[in-house]
Amino acid sequence: MNVSLLFLRKELREVLKNKFVLPVYLVLPPIAVILPVLFAAFSPQIVAIDQNDPAILAILRIVKNTPEFAHMGTDEAITRFFMRSLVSFYLLLPVGLSSISAAFSVVAEKQQRTLEPILATPITDLEFLIGKLLASLVPSIILTWAAAILAAVIVNWITWGKYETALLPERFWFVGVFLLAPLMGMASVLAAIRLSAKMSDPQSANQFTGLVIVPAFMILIGIFGKILTISMTAVAIACVVVVLLVLFLLRLNLKNFQREEILTRWK
Amino acid sequence: MISASMLSRSFDGVPAVETLSFEIPEGSLFTLLGPNGAGKTTTVRLLLGLIAPDSGTATVAGYQLGQSNNDLRSVCGLLTETPGFYDRMSAWENLIFFSQLYRIDQTVRDQRIEHHLRAMNLWERRQSLVGTFSKGMKQKLAIIRAVFHDPKVIFMDEPTAGLDPEASVMVREMISKLKGEGRTIVVCTHNLDEAQRLADIVGIINRRLLVCDTLTNLRSGARHTSAIEIELRAPLGDHQLTAMKLPFVKGIDNKDGKYVFEVENPSINTPNLVKALVDSDAQVYAVRPQTRDLETIYLQCVGEGGVDR
Repeated sequence: MNVSLLFLRKELREVLKNKFVLPVYLVLPPIAVILPVLFAAFSPQIVAIDQNDPAILAILRIVKNTPEFAHMGTDEAITRFFMRSLVSFYLLLPVGLSSISAAFSVVAEKQQRTLEPILATPITDLEFLIGKLLASLVPSIILTWAAAILAAVIVNWITWGKYETALLPERFWFVGVFLLAPLMGMASVLAAIRLSAKMSDPQSANQFTGLVIVPAFMILIGIFGKILTISMTAVAIACVVVVLLVLFLLRLNLKNFQREEILTRWK
Repeated sequence: MISASMLSRSFDGVPAVETLSFEIPEGSLFTLLGPNGAGKTTTVRLLLGLIAPDSGTATVAGYQLGQSNNDLRSVCGLLTETPGFYDRMSAWENLIFFSQLYRIDQTVRDQRIEHHLRAMNLWERRQSLVGTFSKGMKQKLAIIRAVFHDPKVIFMDEPTAGLDPEASVMVREMISKLKGEGRTIVVCTHNLDEAQRLADIVGIINRRLLVCDTLTNLRSGARHTSAIEIELRAPLGDHQLTAMKLPFVKGIDNKDGKYVFEVENPSINTPNLVKALVDSDAQVYAVRPQTRDLETIYLQCVGEGGVDR
């Protein structure tokens, strides 16, 4: 069996029995389904509550200034705007899921003293790194896509009667979920592996990923968030930036993820 | 089977091992003795290609270090000091996982693992989580992991550390059995009793390899001096002086009425010593070559101060 697949299967078994990681996997994906559904169902009512609220006024201004929404009714335009804005949650989802499982996976190897027996086998350093990377990344991507697809189906089902068109997928949502989200997930796994090489217990790994990686990516999403929903150029730039980040982190990990480094430097 | 030449390695400027050179023939059991921090684990890691030497070379099972380390590792087994298993996976799942990393053919894999689990009396517990195992059970499992791919060379780092006497005996029997199968085995330990029971060749390391020889040679001191115990009917008087004048006698000691002579090249010089005593009218009653135990040899080599840094 392929080494990456082997690690994937092993990590899945471990995740299902890990009291720190499993709750994150059980809680975040359902939220990613529920949130768009709630916004799809209640966006017009939310806006109608207080049209003088500065935040709602700002949203209405963006919606009116977006050419794509110009020919639509206010309810549909606002609902579409919220759907597009929620793409940022799908960017955050793989970051949260994969970084925590990657950090725990590395710390668990150290705690259970399994690194040396693994390194004594004939696998290459690169196979080990890719195994660790995919083992954390693949489940988080699958869950993100599953949540996004399920949310799209339910959103379309409850809004079809009202707008007589499918709100999802639309191009920003599509690129965000299927391209930018995996890239963000990959970057966060690589960052988590690099950082957790210095961690020795699950609590530290948990706090570290919670305090460093997730906020860092939230800032990134915050910076891009607004323009990501307006300009495809901005989306393309964001993709390029994250690809460069992935390459940088990959290079760092390739240097760090060598037998000698692991055995002599990882604490 | 293993040949090391001038292997050296330091960490952050501190030497861990220096100029190690030794030969271990195929099928023999080499015990590497040394205090904590003497470089035993570093030596194993060097020979497995897990860390690179600063200088020197080695060949293990026909593979030169640094040229094809993954091939080298595929014919070697490692028993690490701490067993190292996934606690939330069963014994069977753990062994299957590691066997797949060794790329053992699936057709023989299950049979081999079953065979070893039965031999180690762990078959009934194969579906239990490793986290529920005792240290001894984990060590048995780790031995299975070290041998299930049929390696030519097996490295064992402190194989009985932390085990109860019963488990230690079992592990030693297992090691003897593996040796009987013709495998070359390197055992790192600071347990002298274990070394005496197991070893064909003993190396004593304290950053440098201080001695490396067969246990018989080390005990008899074939290459140095040896103690010869001589019992006489009457205490030594002038005879002692006569004996002390001989150039090959390096020391004399009287223990409980028995005289112990420190003699150079004892196989040649013991008859000369006896002849000198007889010539000077000493009534020689018994002559016994004294073999040194490993503890004496070890303490002489290493000293009681631990690592010399």
